[in-house]
Amino acid sequence: MKFNFWYLSSLTVSIIVIVPILTVFTSFFEDTSNYFKILQQTFFHEYIFNSLTLLIGVIFFTFILGVGSAYIVSFYKFPGANFFKWGLILSFAVPPYIYAYSLFAFFENYGTAFTILKYLFGDGNYNKQIPKFDGMFGLILSISFSLYVYVYILARSSFLYQSQNLIELGKNLGFSKFKSFYSIILPAARPAIVAGLSLVAMETLAEFGAVDFFSVNTLTTGIYNSWIAFDDLAFANRISFFLLLFIFILFLTENLSRKKAKYHSELKGGFKKKEKIKLYGGKSFFAFMFCFILFSLSFLFPLSQMLYWTIKFPENLIDLQIIDLLLNTLYLVSLSSLVLIFFALISNYGNRVSNKKILNILSTLSISGYAIPGVILAIAFITFIAWFDENMIKALGFLSIKKIFIGSILGLVLVYFIRFYSLAFNGIKSGYEKMNIAVDESAYLLGYSKTKTFFNIHIPYLRNSLLFVIILVSLEIIRELPITLILRPFNFETFATTAYISASEDLLEAAAVPSLCLIIIASFFILLTSKYILRDRDE
Amino acid sequence: MSNNFLEIKNVSFRVGGKTKVKNVSFNIKNKGDIICLLGPSGVGKTTILRTIAGLEKIKSGSIKLKDKILSSAKNHIEPENRNISLSFQENSLFPHYTVEKNIHLGAEAKKINVKKKVSPKKIIKLLNIEKILSKYPHQISAGEAQRAALARSLVTQPDLLLLDEPLSNVDQSFKEEIQVQLKKLLNNLKITTIVVTHDSYEAFYLGSKCGVILNDQLKQYDDPYNVYHFPNSIEVVNFLNRGILIPAKVTGENSLENEDLGTIKGNFIKHYPKGSAVKLLLQPEDLEHDDKSNLKLEVVDRKFRGTNFIYTLKTATNHLIPVLVHSHHIHQHQVDEKFGIKRPIHIDHIVCF
Amino acid sequence: MKKISIITILFTFISNLVFASEVNIFNARHYKADAELYGKFTAATGIKVNLINGKSGALEKRMIEEGADSAADLYITADAGRCGAFQAKGMTQRGLTSPTITSSVPKNFRTSHWVGVAKRARIIYYSPERVTGAELSGMTYEGLADPKWKGRLVIRKSSNIYNKSLVASLIANNGKKATAEWAKGVVANMARESTGNDRAQIMAVAAGEADIAVANTYYLALMLSGNKGAEQQEAAKKVKAFFPNQDGRGTHMNISCAALVKGAPNKANAIALVDFLLSPESQEHFTNNTFEFPMISGVSPSPLVVNNLGLDFKQDLKTKVSTYGKNQAAALEVMTAAGWK
Repeated sequence: MKFNFWYLSSLTVSIIVIVPILTVFTSFFEDTSNYFKILQQTFFHEYIFNSLTLLIGVIFFTFILGVGSAYIVSFYKFPGANFFKWGLILSFAVPPYIYAYSLFAFFENYGTAFTILKYLFGDGNYNKQIPKFDGMFGLILSISFSLYVYVYILARSSFLYQSQNLIELGKNLGFSKFKSFYSIILPAARPAIVAGLSLVAMETLAEFGAVDFFSVNTLTTGIYNSWIAFDDLAFANRISFFLLLFIFILFLTENLSRKKAKYHSELKGGFKKKEKIKLYGGKSFFAFMFCFILFSLSFLFPLSQMLYWTIKFPENLIDLQIIDLLLNTLYLVSLSSLVLIFFALISNYGNRVSNKKILNILSTLSISGYAIPGVILAIAFITFIAWFDENMIKALGFLSIKKIFIGSILGLVLVYFIRFYSLAFNGIKSGYEKMNIAVDESAYLLGYSKTKTFFNIHIPYLRNSLLFVIILVSLEIIRELPITLILRPFNFETFATTAYISASEDLLEAAAVPSLCLIIIASFFILLTSKYILRDRDE
Repeated sequence: MSNNFLEIKNVSFRVGGKTKVKNVSFNIKNKGDIICLLGPSGVGKTTILRTIAGLEKIKSGSIKLKDKILSSAKNHIEPENRNISLSFQENSLFPHYTVEKNIHLGAEAKKINVKKKVSPKKIIKLLNIEKILSKYPHQISAGEAQRAALARSLVTQPDLLLLDEPLSNVDQSFKEEIQVQLKKLLNNLKITTIVVTHDSYEAFYLGSKCGVILNDQLKQYDDPYNVYHFPNSIEVVNFLNRGILIPAKVTGENSLENEDLGTIKGNFIKHYPKGSAVKLLLQPEDLEHDDKSNLKLEVVDRKFRGTNFIYTLKTATNHLIPVLVHSHHIHQHQVDEKFGIKRPIHIDHIVCF
Repeated sequence: MKKISIITILFTFISNLVFASEVNIFNARHYKADAELYGKFTAATGIKVNLINGKSGALEKRMIEEGADSAADLYITADAGRCGAFQAKGMTQRGLTSPTITSSVPKNFRTSHWVGVAKRARIIYYSPERVTGAELSGMTYEGLADPKWKGRLVIRKSSNIYNKSLVASLIANNGKKATAEWAKGVVANMARESTGNDRAQIMAVAAGEADIAVANTYYLALMLSGNKGAEQQEAAKKVKAFFPNQDGRGTHMNISCAALVKGAPNKANAIALVDFLLSPESQEHFTNNTFEFPMISGVSPSPLVVNNLGLDFKQDLKTKVSTYGKNQAAALEVMTAAGWK
């Protein structure tokens, strides 16, 4: 009897997560139209081609940037190394869409770059000399500069956990530094890097704001368009099959690599705090420049562009009701974190005390929401609620529930829940896993009941994990765009939606103030997390 | 109603739906007794402790403590209501509290009466963990963690203390001292204890009774002396690994004959009809060394054990026989040399199978 | 924190019910000027205006799924094609037939389900330095396919709704087959692959990347106003506007429209708001801020528009804007088939 509670709550959570995902599929199987036959062929190939190009491009850049910077800051001592260690994660505060706005605005004809050149060298037609970063290449850069942080964080922690032995082994074998890196350090960190890259790939496929801004057609926007604009579910079905195939592969890769990465990082023997190698002269300068340029391009650049606009067009600052937007954002963030934490805790605890296979399967299902792009999740949610309302609630003679779920804070929080549950669940899980099950048992034997054990032993122990999860979820929600855009109630805007709406109306200057606010708040949250993300082994 | 302090009757110990040890019965007669369970790793000793502690359930038989049923097919008292303490083999300290807080949490949880015979301070001192009190579990060694967990268990003064390989991570040099202190302490506090170990010396020293678990069964449950000298099965002999079996023929009421060693006399602990072929248990202390003896065997190995040497000798029929010689014995025999064995051979109690 | 959350949830629920006098707009037009107008409306009538901003596709989808339970009263978007398509899905209702509407809005720009509130023309911009008057003389949309513009034309992507509506009007006038050929000619003339928004096309001409561009009227005015900064103001001065098809049916016109949503809970308020938007004051507010053309007569476009684009051009009043919605799919088809990105 006792375990049924855990079973039920885990079941509830997974049903909430899975139902909208199933809706995506079932509604796709209603073959509705033969619309746009010719278009389909052309578009279809374009979607796949674009998505692949985008994926490959982003993976290439994030790999170089993430692994490169992680290697430099974990193995070497040079001026500014301690700053870059956490400074480099700040670019996570700049969502790809805001980066896209900055990139476009800086390089467009008569844009910021033009202004700078004119200021420096006087009048002239510089437009032809200024490179243009829009379309696919701009998109790849926008996403890469924001998402390389995933690779950086995971690669760095893997490098840090590598035992000194491994590195000394390279020296003993007489390897050059490059060869050591290439044939020892990199392979040992491979699972962590692959996990990071698969996260990047999933986020790339799910990206909406930047993709929409550069109007590149990817599989995700393809589904969105054929579903929303053409009501062509059959076509959407075909595209989504491919998309989900991509995602499924990525999801598996990520999960497997994560398990392996854990194995690597938990090797106990032979860990010794590594002495970082001090760099001098040209090498030190190179290391510094690599990090400095990366930091400037990924964080300072969009920050300055937004700041520049805010100063140049101050009337936008006055028009915007910053306090309202801030309260809305914080309100969403706190409500969602509470709900997420609550359920993630229950599920984790249920898994821990009952140790049933079925619960494990359910919780694995529950975290799959993260793999589904937000824009698709939001539409699936609306479709499901509408279907449920028509066929169940109204058929039974009750009042419509649509208003409770669509265009309400409740609905918004629910879909955030589906999308970010895996963050909360895994965050708490990794905390729990570090605590031996014998700890619980010895608590029981000391006379603590299960409830007492939970509140007196687990909660205090998980305090840091919980805090970390709250901050991480908050960060995601602050940056989140498509779900908020589609599901928010009347007269309810956040920094992200305001920026997006202005940008989509070709009012990029007006998008600057909300973007700037978003970057500042997100940076603040990142600084709070950096303590946990960057924790060294011995700290 | 029995008068046993702990009574385990026909219990099959299971974990995860798999039976580990079948149909076990044994008792602890008096409060304050220490018994040991001995067996190779993986045999299910830990499962037995976990079941007694209430962390695993049983489907048959019963476990009674002070005449109260703790576990049976129908009843199961939750671990927190048993007043049984288990000190785990792995680190079970609360990772986010200092060692001191860990130890005090134990006492607080059970609201221990103040009329303690031994204060936590004394326990801490005894276990030599004063220096690590303010440290966190991840900052101390495995051995220290084990002792801290032991201290936490002891301060709660449980009805029954279950120790799972309590000293496995303690340095050899320190181990014997702790064994002595532990035994003294447990006796002082009159804490009934079951110790699980794979180390027979530890078991023989700590336990007033000793159970040997082999191949999903409790093979023997007896005084340590008896387990050693009167093992009840070949498996127990093999497990204790302190003797060999050689073929012999019973030649009379108190004599048998071996091809290599000749006549051996002594008291059979079990009757065998004259002429039956048996396997005789030969332990290192059974044979005596005698340089003058004409019974000479070849030395194939010599182990220096500090207080003594154990010589391994090869017989003509290629049996390897261990013989113990006092360390102060005047001269040493090298490998390949001959080694004399005193005749006539007399063994106090003859164990045959 | 918890308490605040609960109160806010309650408040969110209740606030939807309490305001007896309100109108709910699903809004795909996000100009600051619009918000100011809604404020004026509330001040004048006491009717609260609730907004949900978003892109038209997502807003339409949400209204469709919410169905009869949708709180939506009005759907405001910046393209006639969208309103037409939305009506075709059965999502709108009759009712926009108030005296103000019928008397002030030309029939061409309304149905009983939706009505235009402001106009824009999609025109040609050119560089006076590189394009001669002779080249432009008698220029039409059809003429954009003329090989003489090879490598000299910029226009945004085929997925853009303004382009879809323009091509839809060409299909209505010239037929699908001829338009398909035309699209191929246009693609052959492009100076670069389609990219960027309308303003970017104009700036491409200013920067010398191309000689002619197709874009909506208000963009040049917006740039000239200085709202986009001094550089863009300068750039705009290097570009001139040209109104095509003056000798024939007139320049392609599009509208920002308001559609009355089916099952609108505040139908009367919605109609009142549309009436308000069509008042001379509101129309003037539009023209001075968004630089669109007024929908009603008697209101002058912004001086910036008048002085730089000219006023007395012939508008295409023959092609019904409702055909834009009908021909949208065919338009996208011919553009895609021509390789128009």
